[in-house]
Amino acid sequence: MNDSIYMAPFIRATVDVFKEMLDLTVTRGQPETEGDSFASRGFTVIVGFTGGARGRFFLDMARETAVKLARSMTGEDYQSFADEEVLLCGAELGNIVSGRAITHINNHQPGLNIRLTPPSVFAGEALSMFNVRLSSWSVVMETEAGPVKINVAVEEGKK
Amino acid sequence: MDVKYINPFIAGFLNVCSMLGLAGLQRTGLVKRAKLQTVKDVNVIIGLAGDIKGNVVLSMPESTACNIASTMMGGMPVAQFDLMPKSALCELANMAAGNSVSRFEELGLLVNITPPTLVNGKKVISLVSQVETLAIQFNGTQGTLELNVALEI
Repeated sequence: MNDSIYMAPFIRATVDVFKEMLDLTVTRGQPETEGDSFASRGFTVIVGFTGGARGRFFLDMARETAVKLARSMTGEDYQSFADEEVLLCGAELGNIVSGRAITHINNHQPGLNIRLTPPSVFAGEALSMFNVRLSSWSVVMETEAGPVKINVAVEEGKK
Repeated sequence: MDVKYINPFIAGFLNVCSMLGLAGLQRTGLVKRAKLQTVKDVNVIIGLAGDIKGNVVLSMPESTACNIASTMMGGMPVAQFDLMPKSALCELANMAAGNSVSRFEELGLLVNITPPTLVNGKKVISLVSQVETLAIQFNGTQGTLELNVALEI
């Protein structure tokens, strides 16, 4: 399977959304290989997709980075990552990025018809995510708010 | 939320559990929440898309997760929550969701599921869905667990 079909639109969507909504420039992107489990930096947004291809998208960052992103999104000040609005901002960001990326993929792969499921947000200590039988790719992006990692895992489904 | 959308999840889950030898599972309670939030150590999320959109989350303490994995693997002791029990838990959630989805098909609703994602950690706080959620609590020989159903209808 050609990973760039899936990975490139997500990278582009993340860079564009960060620029347009948060005024954050992604300065560097570094691919990373993942082991069996995905170790979180502390704050992870998960968006699943299904249809012609099944899989999921992670937007992962440190808890402090999540607070910074929420600040630039709403203009308000938050004390803790546990603030509900910080979680909501994370969910919204994941939703917008994956929405853009999937729209792009669907437009360029006629008949694939991928659909998204609602985003979930997890924060905690020693968080790790696990998926069976999914191959995934990660890219770590450097921003002024701190590093943000995106991870896409796809399982080819019935066409 | 209509009960006809909840029953297939309960039936599907219990059916798969009995197939896997997770006997003695009792429904102990039903809680309605304004949104889907879990504070348990181990969560398996499955997304739904199609005629029904939403998330189903199976959440439990780590002890329950290890006991369930042990039962599923024929009583093999599971001391550590490593890849093997994680894989077993994902499979349980996948089978339960698959079973539930086929029950929806009998009702004329086509639902697609995403592959399961297992999230575990300490002091987890989460926000899975902003919609009204039903948490169905179970208790069995393996311990307690919760089946959260959040549907955006």
